[in-house]
Amino acid sequence: MARKANPARLVIALAVAAVLAVFLLYTSIAGGGNPSLAPSELAGRSGEVQLAGLVVGPVTGDAHAGGLRFALRDIGKSSQASIPVLYAGSVPDLFKVGRQIVVDGRLRGGTFVAEPGSMITKCPSKYAPKQTGDSA
Amino acid sequence: MAELGRAALVVSLGLSLYALIAGAAAARLGRRRLAISAQNALVAAFVSTLVASGVLVSALLRNDFSFTYVARTTSEALPTAYTISAFWGGQEGSLLLWLLVLTGFAAASVGLNRRWARDLIVWVVPVFAAVSVFFAFVLVAVASPFTTQAAPADGAGMTPSLQNPYMLAHPVLLYLGYVGLTVPFAFAMGALLSGQTDERWLVATRRWTLVAWAALGIGQLVGSKWAYEEVGWGGYFAWDPVENAALMPWLVATAFLHSVMIQEKRGMLRVWNVLLVLLAFSLALFGTFLTRSGILNSIHSFTQSSIGPWFLGFIGVVVTVSLALVFWRLPRLRSPTKLESPISREAAFLYNNLLLLALCLTIFWGVVYPLLSEAVRGEAVVLGREYYDFFLRIFGLPLLLLMGIGPLVAWRKASLRSLLTTFRWPTGVAVATGAILLVLGAGTSVPGLIAYTFSSFVAATIALEFARGTRARKALGATSWPGAFSSLIARNRRRYGGYVVHAAIVLLAIGVAGSSAFDTVAEAKLERGESMKVGGYTLVYRSLDERLAANATEIRARLAVSRGDRDLGTLDAGKNAYTIEAQVSNEVGIRSDPLTGEDLFVIAEQIDPDGTVYFRVFVKPLVNLIWIAGLVFLLGSLVTLWPDAREQRRLARRAREIGIPATH
Repeated sequence: MARKANPARLVIALAVAAVLAVFLLYTSIAGGGNPSLAPSELAGRSGEVQLAGLVVGPVTGDAHAGGLRFALRDIGKSSQASIPVLYAGSVPDLFKVGRQIVVDGRLRGGTFVAEPGSMITKCPSKYAPKQTGDSA
Repeated sequence: MAELGRAALVVSLGLSLYALIAGAAAARLGRRRLAISAQNALVAAFVSTLVASGVLVSALLRNDFSFTYVARTTSEALPTAYTISAFWGGQEGSLLLWLLVLTGFAAASVGLNRRWARDLIVWVVPVFAAVSVFFAFVLVAVASPFTTQAAPADGAGMTPSLQNPYMLAHPVLLYLGYVGLTVPFAFAMGALLSGQTDERWLVATRRWTLVAWAALGIGQLVGSKWAYEEVGWGGYFAWDPVENAALMPWLVATAFLHSVMIQEKRGMLRVWNVLLVLLAFSLALFGTFLTRSGILNSIHSFTQSSIGPWFLGFIGVVVTVSLALVFWRLPRLRSPTKLESPISREAAFLYNNLLLLALCLTIFWGVVYPLLSEAVRGEAVVLGREYYDFFLRIFGLPLLLLMGIGPLVAWRKASLRSLLTTFRWPTGVAVATGAILLVLGAGTSVPGLIAYTFSSFVAATIALEFARGTRARKALGATSWPGAFSSLIARNRRRYGGYVVHAAIVLLAIGVAGSSAFDTVAEAKLERGESMKVGGYTLVYRSLDERLAANATEIRARLAVSRGDRDLGTLDAGKNAYTIEAQVSNEVGIRSDPLTGEDLFVIAEQIDPDGTVYFRVFVKPLVNLIWIAGLVFLLGSLVTLWPDAREQRRLARRAREIGIPATH
C-alpha cells in the first residue's frame, strides 16, 4: 500500500518532537531535582539534598523560634549512626521520635540545616495505622 | 467465620479460572452452551465474592479482633461508619473491594450486552475472568483478609486523619474508577480476539467508561477536599505519587472519551483508541499497585512488599499480551478514512489527545524517576513540585484553550476565515477579560493571567453554543425559552453534557489559578489578646479551650475575625490528640466567603503550654470554585450518562454501516 502524505502521522511526529524539546529545555534549566539520601550517605556532601530518615530523640528547641533540634538515622538498617538536624517552620502532625521523615537542606559543619517548612512525614502507611517493628 | 471467608475466596478463584478456561474454549470452538456456562460462572464468582465481603463486614461490625485485619484497622471506640470504611482502609480489604466491584461490573456489562453483541461477548468473558483470576489469586495466596490470630483486647485503631466523612467516599470512588476501566479494556480485547473490530465495543462500553471516568474525577476532588480540610497544610494537591496515580488514568480516559467520538463519526484512530484503553487500564493497575504496594513509603521498601512483585508481573503480562493482540489484528484496524486537514474537529481532538497524553507521560516520568535514577545512578533523585507545575502549565494551558476551540470547529475541513467568524465574540471576551484583569493587578502571575484569559474564552464559547442552540429550538417551535433550553439538552445529551463538563473544568481552572497564583500567607506567634493582619482580614486571638470528645482531646484556639470595620464572627483552629492511636492532628479553621468564593484558612501550628499559639494563615481567593466545579462536573456527567434510546439506535445503525464484517 503506497503511503500518501498523512497529516495525522506528521502531527504525531511533530508533537513528539515538541514534547522532547520541552523536556530537554526543562532539564537543562531546572537540573531536575535533588538526590534523596539516607543519613549514612550524607558524609562529604555539601550540595542540596533530600534527607530521609528515622527521627531520633531528644527533640529540643522551638520550630518557630531558633529551630527544632533532633537527629536522623537510617531507616531499616542496623547502623545506629545518626546526623543532627536543625529545622524551622511547620512541623507535620505525625512528627515524633521513631517516625520516618523527609527534609530538604544541606550539611553545614556537621549539622544538617533543613530548609524552612520542608519537612514531610512519611506515615508507616497512608492507610495502615500502626506498624510494629518499623524500626527493625 | 474466617474459614467461610477464605472458602468463599477460593470458590471465587475456582469460578474465575473456570470462566477463563471454559470461556476461551467456548469462544475458540464456537460452543454456545459452554459460553453461557462461563458467563454464569462470572456471575457466581460475584456472588461468592459478595459472601466473602459480607464475612469481612460482619467481622468489622462485631469488632472481632481475632481477624488480624480487623485488629489492625479498627478499635472498640471507632464510630460505626469508620469501622465499615476500614473495609477499604487496608491493603487486603481494598483488594477484596477490587474483586467485588470487578466481578459485579463484569457480570453486569456482559449481561447487558449479551444479546446484541454475542460474538463479541464470548471473547470478553475470558478477558474479565483472567483479570479476576489475578485478584482472586492474590487474595487467596498472598494478601488474605481472613488471617486470624489470638484476639488482642483492642485494635490499633484508624489513623485520625482518615476519620473524616470524605474518606468514606474517596477510596470507593477511586476504586469504582480504577475497576470501571476494566470494562472498556475487556471489551477492546474481546473485539481484538474475536476479530469483531467494528465500533460495537465502543458503543457497548461508552457509559461504563463514562461512569469510571466520572467516579475517578469526583473521587479525586473529594480527596482534594479531604486534604484541604483534614491534612491542613493549606493546599489540596501536592503531586504526591498517590494523587498522581489517580490522575494519570483519568487523563488517559479523558483522551479516550474524546478520540472515541472521532472513531464513531469518522472511523479513524482505531489503533489509537485500543492503545488508549490499554494504557488507561494499565495505569489503573499501576495506581492500585502504587497505593497498595508500599513502594511509596520508601523506595527501599519496595522488595519487602508482598504484593508488589505480583502486581508488576501482572501489569507486564497485560501490556505484553495486549500489544501482541494489537499487532496481530493491525490489518483489521486500518482506518477507512484519513485526516483531511490540520484545521478540523478531528485534528483538534487529536491535539487534545496528544496534550493529555504528554501531560500524563510527564507525570508518569516524575513518579518513576526516583526508581529509575536509583537504578541507573545509584541514588534516588526526587522531582519536586516545580517539575509538575512547569508541565501543567506547558501542556495544561493549551489544553484549556483547545477546550474552547475543538467543539466548534467543523468536521473534515475548516477554513481559517470561518474560524475567525466563529470565534469573533469569544476572542473579544477573552481579550477584554485579560485587559481588565491586567489593570486590576493580576499581572503578578503570568500563568494565572493566561489561565483566566483562556478560561473566559472557553466560557464564552460554551455560553454562545447554549444561546445559539436554544434560539434555534425556539425558532423550531418550542413554546417557551426554558422549554427550548431543556429540549436542546434532551435532544443531544452527549454534546451539551460535554459542554457542562467543560464548564466545570473552566471553574476548576479558575479556582486552581486563583488559589495558587494569587494567594496570600502570613505567620505569627500570638499571645491571648494579640492580633495579626493578612489579606485585608484582622484576626484577634481570644481564648484557648480544651474539651474531651469520644476518642480524642480537642484543643481549640478561638479567633475573632473582622474585615475593615465589619465583624465576621469567630473561627476555631486547633489540634486533636487521639487517645488510642497516640497521634495528634491539626484541625484547621476555614471561613468561606459565599459571595467571592474566597477562603480564610487558619492553622494553629504550635500550641505552647503557656497558651501562646503559632498561627499560619492563608487567604485563598476563588478556591471554593474548585468544589463547585465538582458538582458541575457531576451534573455534566449525569447529563451525558442519562439513557437515550434515540442515540443508542443511531449509534448501532452507524456501527452496522461502518462495521466491516457481517455480524452473524
